[in-house]
Amino acid sequence: MEPDAQLVQNCLRGDGSAWEELVRRHTRRIYNLCWRFTSSRHEAEDLTQEVFLRVYKTLGSYRSAHGGFATWMTSVTRNLLIDHYRRTRRDRLTDSLDDAMPRLEEKHSPVRRPDQATLANELSGQVQNALKKISPDLREAVILRDLQGLEYAEIQDVLGVPEGTVKSRINRGRIELARLLEQMGVRPE
Amino acid sequence: MTWNCEQIESRLSEYADRLLPADERGYFEAHARGCARCGALVSRVTGMLARLHQLELEAVPAGLERRILEQTLGPKAERKGVRSWLGWLAPVMTQRFAYGAVTVLITVMVLSQAFGVQWSQVELRDLYPPNLYRATTRKANLVYARGAKFVTDLRVVYEIQSRLRPEAEQPAPTEQKPAPGQSQGPEEKEQPRQQNRANESYGNYSLLAMTASLMPGRMTQ
Repeated sequence: MEPDAQLVQNCLRGDGSAWEELVRRHTRRIYNLCWRFTSSRHEAEDLTQEVFLRVYKTLGSYRSAHGGFATWMTSVTRNLLIDHYRRTRRDRLTDSLDDAMPRLEEKHSPVRRPDQATLANELSGQVQNALKKISPDLREAVILRDLQGLEYAEIQDVLGVPEGTVKSRINRGRIELARLLEQMGVRPE
Repeated sequence: MTWNCEQIESRLSEYADRLLPADERGYFEAHARGCARCGALVSRVTGMLARLHQLELEAVPAGLERRILEQTLGPKAERKGVRSWLGWLAPVMTQRFAYGAVTVLITVMVLSQAFGVQWSQVELRDLYPPNLYRATTRKANLVYARGAKFVTDLRVVYEIQSRLRPEAEQPAPTEQKPAPGQSQGPEEKEQPRQQNRANESYGNYSLLAMTASLMPGRMTQ
């Protein structure tokens, strides 16, 4: 498999198939990152498109010496997610009443909670609900570490904070998430 | 050295990610074993992480990749590379086409068997159009000649049978049923024997005719 850095070089030379390959490799990861952060599939789709559009436009600024392409893409995604978070903060404040009872809503929604939902889907939904309740700083640290599988150093590059801060955020985020999941009735393995 | 609860909580993730050095790991576990609160916290977080790591990434919504490519490369963007060469294959790479191809293959195999084509003996020069034409014409003429001979033989047999049949199938004289109480005469009693002889001779002629059809060479002489 051709490395990402080589594909980027091919893209910059005008090779459309190299860009297609990059899109195919990273769409799922970026979409999941956006979905876990926003808790909305629709917003996640829009944000994923926005991320790739921005990456495509700024592809020339990527330097492989500074880190992996995946990490760079995650940084771009994170910046867009922060913009999106700030943009929608006002909407969320007005929707605070709706946020208070998301589980009731989802229980009656055939799309989110179908009768034949697998246990994995159920857990995924519970994790999503718990993630919504923790602060954005802790949430992004946990998502990057435990749902995206990034190393501490990579998270440090993406967040642009010292290593100690990364460890602290991951630690606090995990403890908070575990507490919330336990409250929801999720049993640890 | 012993660790306190605060240290356990702050280093919990490093412990879970196996980033603690061996000695610190020992201190951590020693405290967690002895402290009910920290023990519960550690098992809760590590258990939750185990479940979290089992989660798979969500599937990408249908059409998302296509939309991204359209936004970036454009809907009618010229695709370069190997895919552009294989692009014409896309419309035929369907399940329907695959079924059709398999059907054609089976038909060719059946026809090959029927016409006695042995693919292992086929050489490249056999596929040269003039050679192919000659071989096909020869095969067709052979099939036609065999069919014509079969029809001719049938005709001969039929002719022999039709010549023999009137003699064998002469209509029997009309039977006059004797009146009740009347006995039959002596000449009337001979009729079944004559009929038997006629049947016997007809059977012999039929046998002769069939034998003749099996020996076409002698019949033509």
